[in-house]
Amino acid sequence: MTLSEAAPIAQPITELLDAETVQSIADEVWPSLVGDGEAFVPVPVPPPADVVSAWVDIIGPWTGSVVLTCAPATAEALTESVLMTRPPTVVDSEDVADALGELANVLGGNIKSVLPGESRLGLPQIGSAPSRGRLDDVRSLVGQWRGNFLTITVQGAAPAPHAERNEVPL
Amino acid sequence: MRALVIDDSRAMRRIVGTILKDFGYEVREAGDGRQALDVLQEGKAEGWRPDLCCIDWNMPVMDGLQFVFAVRANPEYRQVTLMMVTTESETGQIVKALAAGAHEYLIKPFTADALRDKLALLGLLPEEVSA
Repeated sequence: MTLSEAAPIAQPITELLDAETVQSIADEVWPSLVGDGEAFVPVPVPPPADVVSAWVDIIGPWTGSVVLTCAPATAEALTESVLMTRPPTVVDSEDVADALGELANVLGGNIKSVLPGESRLGLPQIGSAPSRGRLDDVRSLVGQWRGNFLTITVQGAAPAPHAERNEVPL
Repeated sequence: MRALVIDDSRAMRRIVGTILKDFGYEVREAGDGRQALDVLQEGKAEGWRPDLCCIDWNMPVMDGLQFVFAVRANPEYRQVTLMMVTTESETGQIVKALAAGAHEYLIKPFTADALRDKLALLGLLPEEVSA
């Protein structure tokens, strides 16, 4: 079953998940994965011009994605922190995709566990964030890590495009 | 002590591997269940068998649960302890993994202390570390 094939649930994510729960999950994830003393701080800073996203899909009674978005430079810094690399070691784009993807995976897995019903978690993906579904089916935490813009967004899947009908004139 | 860390994330393999090495483990890695079976097969030729496998659940090619089934189906690996290390934290998933033959379950995110506690519980913490 793919994201677009999953039957949408009537309840939007805003009724299933509050911001405090997302923050408490981030509070667990950051110190254990990013490093001791590290935190996702829910204080917004201006968004950068260029962003990169990593996400995992949740497919179940509620279907959507957990998306982590930040500037490419922040993604690199996060990767260095996750991998505990020190100069002169440099991280490459594969490292960034892997580390950012794993952060999204751990956030997504923990968010999935607090949603009702049995759901399946997809594999991490990286790139431009997937399209959002209903406007009210989004729970977004805008904040920062080490002063850099970062968001954690839990968003419903965009509806599948309607199949085009092939009308044959009689 | 020997461990095989199975996770599609290199970052996670590195984190788990580093902790296990700090505990005195010799660590090998695999990026999915299929690769892990290959590592076991290759290890057999050189007399290397892990005491512990740390297994992620969601992986491409062969996932962690399929790997557990495959290992449990092979009597040669009866002595290998299987521990799921995963974000899958619902009770149903834990029960499924334990029923398939996993011995322990560690939910991501975790701390080095949590992993240490699990190893102590399994009797897989080297004496010099547990002392």
